[in-house]
Amino acid sequence: MGKNKYLKWGIKLELRGIQSTIMAVFSLISFSVLLILGFTIYTRFSASARQEIISGTQRLAEQSGEYLEDYLMDMRRVSDSIYYNVIKENDFSTQAKDIQQGMNLLYAANRENLRSIAVYNEYGSLMAAEPVVLQKEDPNITKQGWYEKAMGELENMHFSTPHIQNLFDDGASRYYWVISLSRAVELTSHGVPRTGVLLVDMDYSGIERLMRQINESGNGQYFYLCDSDGQLIYHSRQIQIYNGIGSENSRQAAGYKDGVYDEYFAGERRKVVVATVSYTGWKLVGVIPYSAFTYGLFNLRYFFGIFMLLMAMMLVFVNRVVSVRISSPILKLNDSVMSYEAGETPEIYIGGPREIRHLGYSIQTSYEQIDELMKEIVREQNERRKSELDALQSQINPHFLYNTLDSIIWMVEDGRNDGASFMITELARFFRIGLSKGRTVITVKEELQHAKSYMNIQKIRYKNAFSVVFDIDPAIHSCCTAKLVLQPILENAINYGVSGMDGAGEIKVAGRLEEGIVRLAVQDNGIGMVEEEASLILTDSSRKQKHGSGVGLVNVNKRIQILFGKEYGLAVASEPDEGTEVSIRIPAVPYTEENRKVLEEGNLFGKEEFLSPHGSGAGDGSRWGKDGQGL
Amino acid sequence: MKNQKKIFVLAESVLAALLLLLVARMFWEMNGESRYKVAIVIQNSDSSQWASFQYGLKMAAQDQNIELSIPSTGGTLTVEEEKDLIEAELANGADAVIVQPAPGEGAEEMLKLLEKKAPIMLAVCGGWPEGGISQLPVTGPDNYGLGKALAEELLRDYGGSMEGKTFGILSEQGSLQGTASRERGVREALEKKGAAARWSVSGFFAEDGSHSLKLLPEVDVVVALDDSSLVAAGEYAASKDLHGALVYGIGHSTEAAYYLDTDMVQCLVVPDGFQMGYQCLTELAGSLGHYFRGIKGQEVPYTVLRRETLFSEENQKLLFTMSQ
Repeated sequence: MGKNKYLKWGIKLELRGIQSTIMAVFSLISFSVLLILGFTIYTRFSASARQEIISGTQRLAEQSGEYLEDYLMDMRRVSDSIYYNVIKENDFSTQAKDIQQGMNLLYAANRENLRSIAVYNEYGSLMAAEPVVLQKEDPNITKQGWYEKAMGELENMHFSTPHIQNLFDDGASRYYWVISLSRAVELTSHGVPRTGVLLVDMDYSGIERLMRQINESGNGQYFYLCDSDGQLIYHSRQIQIYNGIGSENSRQAAGYKDGVYDEYFAGERRKVVVATVSYTGWKLVGVIPYSAFTYGLFNLRYFFGIFMLLMAMMLVFVNRVVSVRISSPILKLNDSVMSYEAGETPEIYIGGPREIRHLGYSIQTSYEQIDELMKEIVREQNERRKSELDALQSQINPHFLYNTLDSIIWMVEDGRNDGASFMITELARFFRIGLSKGRTVITVKEELQHAKSYMNIQKIRYKNAFSVVFDIDPAIHSCCTAKLVLQPILENAINYGVSGMDGAGEIKVAGRLEEGIVRLAVQDNGIGMVEEEASLILTDSSRKQKHGSGVGLVNVNKRIQILFGKEYGLAVASEPDEGTEVSIRIPAVPYTEENRKVLEEGNLFGKEEFLSPHGSGAGDGSRWGKDGQGL
Repeated sequence: MKNQKKIFVLAESVLAALLLLLVARMFWEMNGESRYKVAIVIQNSDSSQWASFQYGLKMAAQDQNIELSIPSTGGTLTVEEEKDLIEAELANGADAVIVQPAPGEGAEEMLKLLEKKAPIMLAVCGGWPEGGISQLPVTGPDNYGLGKALAEELLRDYGGSMEGKTFGILSEQGSLQGTASRERGVREALEKKGAAARWSVSGFFAEDGSHSLKLLPEVDVVVALDDSSLVAAGEYAASKDLHGALVYGIGHSTEAAYYLDTDMVQCLVVPDGFQMGYQCLTELAGSLGHYFRGIKGQEVPYTVLRRETLFSEENQKLLFTMSQ
């Protein structure tokens, strides 16, 4: 079942017309090109957009990194200024006021970014602080991370990760989130240099503000800041990460050098842009999930989709127009050729492009030539048939003439002059009819007259050894028949049937119209013949005649068939000792001048049109015979 | 020929329909997907006690792409005021509401009625009216557990026995079911170890308030069951008006932490406000647009803070959320 379905589909494809083929091929090619082009452009464009996003993120990371560096640099400068201009220049025991004033100036100049400045001695005791607020009870300075780091590595400056400042009580019941910059410093008290720690607490909100600003892309990409160990300094989902709701690959990112990396983290592919913040080793990490790339390309996808659909619509239309333009002349030519083949005679279409026009001309010329050739062939065939008819016809007259003259000679020798005179008169009438003004086709009536004349001659010749009866339906009198068709049959009836019956012989000529067919029958009560012999009479032309010239029924049969067609002719029925009946079967064609000419010109009955006696209507012989029109 | 035309018209029609669909979708997306809006109706919304809760809400809103509306309530709302506020928020396009139930009768009926209009999640830190609102989802701490944990810390300070010791219980709204549960947790644990409750009072006990703790009988320990009570007790302790009583309490504001830091409060049990806000909104957001998904209440964790561990790395993160 399925196989048949595909087979049918295959046949359908094979039978598809030129227009659909052109349309299909054009569409296939154009859509393929469109798709390839669209895909290529989209791929190139998206790759370019992707690169642009990465470059943009890189630029932003670099700029933000620089900003952070500047910010931290400022803090370093503050720290340096305090250390070199205030702490180193003054003695805490005698110039505490100057130190406080110096610190105050620097704090006031940077208060936007600073939470506090403090100096602690080697025991963790507060030496000076700005702004001046109450120090908490036992804040355990020496155990705080920033202090330990400063005292651990005296030569360096240390930036802490964000933490709660746990030093002062400003009475506001608040806890500040700060980043501490600590360094070991040399304090002078009572002229004795001592080691201490200078702490500059930067307000975390400064960094938070910057990071928030660069995290406002809204397309899924984000930046975070971590230290060299991967500890988060800022992350937009910091608390979620702390609480285990979220996660970040900061430890791995901390190990990256500056650049762009591919990552697969938490079930997501992403690009990671890393920029290192100088002095601190902090990493500013820009994360671009792959979904961010598509986010940016979302509108572009729609644009491409709409563009492709519009192009497809236009291509369908153009393909349609082109295929119609190309195939239309071919289809018109094909239609005209098919009409021609169906029997109609339209003009062959000549139009369209030069090649199709040329093809049309060629086909038209070919058809014209074929027509001419066909007419020529028909004409030649008709002529050949006419010649054959004439040849057969010409066999009749000498045959009969020979017999009759033989009888007249015999009568004259016998002294029967009256009989000879009557016979010559009948012969004259016979020939007058036989000549029939040179016509081959005469009326049945004339043929019967001819037959009667012949029988009158023969009756004299055979001394009335037989009788003749004519039983003719007058309706057939005006029908066409070939000339001298009855005479050879009658001759045969006399010679083979009744000639030796000494007055008992009887020949009956009957004529009937039966369903458009004229049937003339010659019946004798002679000796008859066996069936096999009767069947050979019309087929075996080489059969030796016992009497006469040797032409006979075969000749008559051929002439009828040449004139009216193979379906007409003679039929022989015979029974030994019973007699023989030879019947002529011809179409009931009304005798008119036009019909006679048509028949005489050799046009086969039934293939050509015959005019009715009234000069209108057309039809073949069978139709004449069936409805009896004109009879 | 006719078939060709039909195929042509069909192809063009299909392409045109696709084009229209695409254009419509593009315009729809250009106009932006409508974000869900969730209103937060809480008592005294500007108070620092809600800092971590609101921070949690904001973080969840950011993660879930939800628009938040937190109207300023200024102080304690009555049931009627709360109803008006919720209705106003719904009229302003809120798709769901997170509510701290107002104390007073009729809150349950009011919320049940409003729940038919929009999903409602109860955010309960201090508790909700006695009797509860059984059909509404609640996000909040295990109040009984909070009271019990606080009592256990107290007992630890007293070496496991409080024989002969007295304590007073302080709460802002004793009628709230949550407060009652906390008190039950405290009482059961302490009384089992020989401590006796001398008083249990509810109200606003600020130094300059109408009620005064000074007038209450002397006790060894004052147990504050909510943030405002704890801050009040801290204030009294700082002013040395508690007759030497030690303060233990439940709170979630920086003030509460400050009194712990300054040794006015011995122990602080902090329900995680951030988690409460975050879980509350995340759960609600999950149900928005999914009509067949119900909303489930969430239990949030708590942290026990001591002065010595207040600035530990973990607790600093807690303080960070409280400081937002």
